[in-house]
Amino acid sequence: MNYSPLIPELIVVLTGLIVVFFGLFLPLRVKKGLGCISALALIASIVYILKSGVLSTSERAGIYFYEAYAIDSLSQFFKLVFLAVSLIVVIASIKRYENNKYQDEYYGLLLFATFGMMIVASSNDLVTLFIGFELASMSTYVLAGFDKTNPKSLEAAMKYFIIGSVSSAIMLFGLSLLYGVTGTTNIEGISAYIAVNGILDAAGIAILVFLIAGFAFKMALVPFHMWAPDTYEGAPTMISAMLAAGSKKMGFVAAFKVFIVALIALRLDLQSVFFILAIITMTYGNVVAISQKSIKRMLAYSSVAQAGYIAMAFVIMTPLAMGAGMLYILSHAFMKSGAFIAVGAVTHMMWTRNKNVENADYLKNFAGLSQRAPYTALAMLIFVFALAGIPPTAGFVSKFFLFSSAIQAGYIALVVVAILNSAVSLYYYARIVKYMYVLPPAGETLKEPRAYLLAMLVAIIAIFAIGIYPAPFLDWAMNAAATIGM
Amino acid sequence: MFQDFAYLIILLPVIAFVLTLFFGKKFPANGGILSVIAVFSAFVISAGILIEIYPSGCVEQSWPWFAILNFGILIDPLAAVMLCMVSFVSFLIHVYSVGYMSHDHAKPRYFAETALFTTAMLGVVLSDNILQFFIFWELVGLCSYLLIGFWYRKPTAAAAAKKAFLVTRVGDVLFLAGIIILYLNIRDFQIPDGAYLLQFQTMFAAIGHIPPSQLTVITLLFFGGAVGKSGQFPLHIWLPDAMEGPTTVSALIHAATMVTAGVYLVARTFPIFLASPDALTVVAYIGGFTAIFAATMGLVMNDIKRVLAYSTVSQLGYMMLALGTGIVIGAEVVGVSMFHLISHAFFKALLFLCAGSVIHGLGLQDLRQMGGAFSKMKITAITMLIASLALTGIPPTAGFFSKDAIIEGTYAYGIHTGSMALYAMGIIAALLTSIYTYRLWFMAFAGKPRTNYHAHESPPSMTVPLIILAILALVFGLVAHGAFGGFLEHTYSENLIEDAAAIGGHHIATEHAHPPTILFYMPIIVGVLGFVISWLIYSKRVINMSSIVSKRNPIYNLLLNRYYQQKIYIEFIAITIVYRVLALLGEFIDRRIIDGIIDGISYVIITIGEFIRRIQTGVVQHYAAFVVAGVVVLILLLQGGIL
Repeated sequence: MNYSPLIPELIVVLTGLIVVFFGLFLPLRVKKGLGCISALALIASIVYILKSGVLSTSERAGIYFYEAYAIDSLSQFFKLVFLAVSLIVVIASIKRYENNKYQDEYYGLLLFATFGMMIVASSNDLVTLFIGFELASMSTYVLAGFDKTNPKSLEAAMKYFIIGSVSSAIMLFGLSLLYGVTGTTNIEGISAYIAVNGILDAAGIAILVFLIAGFAFKMALVPFHMWAPDTYEGAPTMISAMLAAGSKKMGFVAAFKVFIVALIALRLDLQSVFFILAIITMTYGNVVAISQKSIKRMLAYSSVAQAGYIAMAFVIMTPLAMGAGMLYILSHAFMKSGAFIAVGAVTHMMWTRNKNVENADYLKNFAGLSQRAPYTALAMLIFVFALAGIPPTAGFVSKFFLFSSAIQAGYIALVVVAILNSAVSLYYYARIVKYMYVLPPAGETLKEPRAYLLAMLVAIIAIFAIGIYPAPFLDWAMNAAATIGM
Repeated sequence: MFQDFAYLIILLPVIAFVLTLFFGKKFPANGGILSVIAVFSAFVISAGILIEIYPSGCVEQSWPWFAILNFGILIDPLAAVMLCMVSFVSFLIHVYSVGYMSHDHAKPRYFAETALFTTAMLGVVLSDNILQFFIFWELVGLCSYLLIGFWYRKPTAAAAAKKAFLVTRVGDVLFLAGIIILYLNIRDFQIPDGAYLLQFQTMFAAIGHIPPSQLTVITLLFFGGAVGKSGQFPLHIWLPDAMEGPTTVSALIHAATMVTAGVYLVARTFPIFLASPDALTVVAYIGGFTAIFAATMGLVMNDIKRVLAYSTVSQLGYMMLALGTGIVIGAEVVGVSMFHLISHAFFKALLFLCAGSVIHGLGLQDLRQMGGAFSKMKITAITMLIASLALTGIPPTAGFFSKDAIIEGTYAYGIHTGSMALYAMGIIAALLTSIYTYRLWFMAFAGKPRTNYHAHESPPSMTVPLIILAILALVFGLVAHGAFGGFLEHTYSENLIEDAAAIGGHHIATEHAHPPTILFYMPIIVGVLGFVISWLIYSKRVINMSSIVSKRNPIYNLLLNRYYQQKIYIEFIAITIVYRVLALLGEFIDRRIIDGIIDGISYVIITIGEFIRRIQTGVVQHYAAFVVAGVVVLILLLQGGIL
């Protein structure tokens, strides 16, 4: 059997082990190199996936380990999302944690978290799925509390852990019910069983609801989102980027696999459930984001709202909608991680000037940023405009395809709500721009760290590439959608 | 070989734009060098492609963009000659600008904007679909706005920029409306694989499926866009004011390239126009009227650049007139019109650059203060005389061949339709053109200085482009007039033209009646007549002008006040109708009603946000409770069949 499609996973997990192992011996001054190695490993994985050509076909490239692990364009598409977010985060972290003596653990955990997400993306079996989920979750629980001296970070990690555990329990319950009813954990097996035998409605509803709750925790759909703002705000900004841009997508890929592939035969009204969830989530996220003082928290709510848009794909359920949803996921990964990194850059610059600045991520610190840190301000401008969906950015293209797929499918009301929401969101995005570009500077010029700028540049290039020439990306997304039978 | 690099034609100027804008100060000539190189490379590639596709060929490249849209390059004979002209004139003017703008502090901005303009214009020319065409078209408008207002601290320049932007915007909106109506009509049309709905080829293939009434509406709206960009009556008012920018900008944008975009639009979509004879008739008459109307105003202007501005408007009218005669002559008129467009680009750019040289050398812009500059600025004076000969259609200049062909076309049109009005318009406009052109030359260069000024000839970076353009104005017609028409005929296939004409319900005459000898030589006769009149009046002074040039002469007053356009357009339309009625009404609705609603909504949303925020207690037990509650609610929703 040809195991070469698994090379990206191998690169990531081996690099993780190497980083942790050598971290034990290396003195602090060379530990920075571990971050560089991690970044290189991530780049190598990305390049391998792009080169392998799996993305441009809807054929399955391979299935491994007793049909538990599948490589197809869906899995590779999501791996690309996860790897890209990790890469952006690692690049910025090289500067952020250059003097931290535990940075080897940081990079190790980051790579393991990425590995967990990659497993979820490829899993073809409920057990594999759950293990990937937990590996990613465990690693990120620790990472959320990585700034050990900061009580907010610890609080964030604790809340994330508790709600995460509750959700895992609920999800596991749903998975076990599913196994109990169908007698298999293989996703295609489940699909086949249900199609032939059918299952009791009551059991179906219980399974569906428990799984929705479990996945929606990761996706941060209302009302399963409450951990998200606290965690994103308190966690180290890099990790917030990872959670909001990367690990959130794990919930979506799991949902694509389980709801669309395995449970579509249930014929329960999944669409209406997601219709309500999507509308509540986007509206709630946008409305609450308006009144936030902390930009990280604002981005957290904006990320909740964006999850609401993406969830529209589960309502519309047409091939174009699925493809558009995936394209949105890809775009969102860059926009959101970029925005968090920009905030991270600002807080970093504040802290280098004065270690004891409190609430460094507050909006008021962004006043006049265009003069204090022009490149960071410009990058942030691009990210928030992309998030708001202004052309020629990725945000516009994704919204365009998603909304037009909804119109094609006749969900006019949903589109109206979504567009009104976009308008509302422009308020708080534009407010950031106003602070950065209109208000007088809140201090002297800052020295912009290059690693952060590089990380943001990566995100910006991707945002414009997707925004200006979306055809190849949409192709990938449509192929990915085709692999789940769309 | 050059075809493979067609995309570089617009990519290189874009790169020059970005580099010059951000890092211009670090390069020689403050970034001017980058723009010059980029535009020159674009010219080399364009010329290479022209040679490759001659005598009949076409470059078609297309990449999917998204949905039903594509990026595409279409270089057929029409586009090829236009590309060469635009890039060549732009290149010369960039070279000239290095000298002309040498004292300006904002050079990087200047060269960045002209590079962007060149990109936009080349983009318009090589677009293979109408949407891409429109995008670049708008970009052209933006650059025009930026460059007219280049000296934005000068209030008149800022006002002129705004005026140009708003007036051309009227045309742009019409054009966009035309595209939308076109799209609505052809969206259900089955297109072959690899083609896109808004590509010109697809559009032309679909003409037969569009109801004639819609076709007329579409073409008239397209023409509306062309009227705005090409300064045709009644949207010509922005063009003379556009002379507030640097003279190089006037030459580049408002004489040679941008204003021809409108003519190019009509030529590019000519099959559609051909299928809609009513619209084509409108094109002809608007063009003819504009040619005369603008020429009369050119007679009395005293600002050297304004004379040229009205002359441009008038000549663009000629080009439209030529396209309009296509009802009778068919697609051949595209060649005729484009030939005039290109020879006009050469001699009008030359005229403007000469005017720039005069302004640079004399420090004067008012013709009444000049006079006798011939001895001081020989090169400028002679090149300008050559340009004037070309403009007035004296053989063997380029203008002779191009103008003659147009007037011959109007004669054929007259014979076929029985109405010689267009022919008469062409001849009258030619006479007026000749008078104002030589008036300008005599007033500037002949006689004795009327004021004390210190004149000097301009530096070589300015005079060399003058000489090159003068040579082109002299020989272009001789060299190219034979091959040009035949080459451009390959733009549209004969079948396409016949089908389009059949849809329009008219026949294209294959045999053209040649005018009798006297009429044939009429353009030259009126050209010389104009020269003689100007010579008598402005050089020999046989007529005492003070009796004519007086405030009591109503005709002079009418012309000097430019037909009271200021009163009609500004005071009546702009101030009374648009501002007092529409704008104030809009403002009332906007402030009192819409703002009130918006403020109300935002107040409600912010209040709700503040309220909901309190649900987020920060207590993790509550969060867990919400998760469980969410599960329960979902079960109820699904189980209870509420959904």
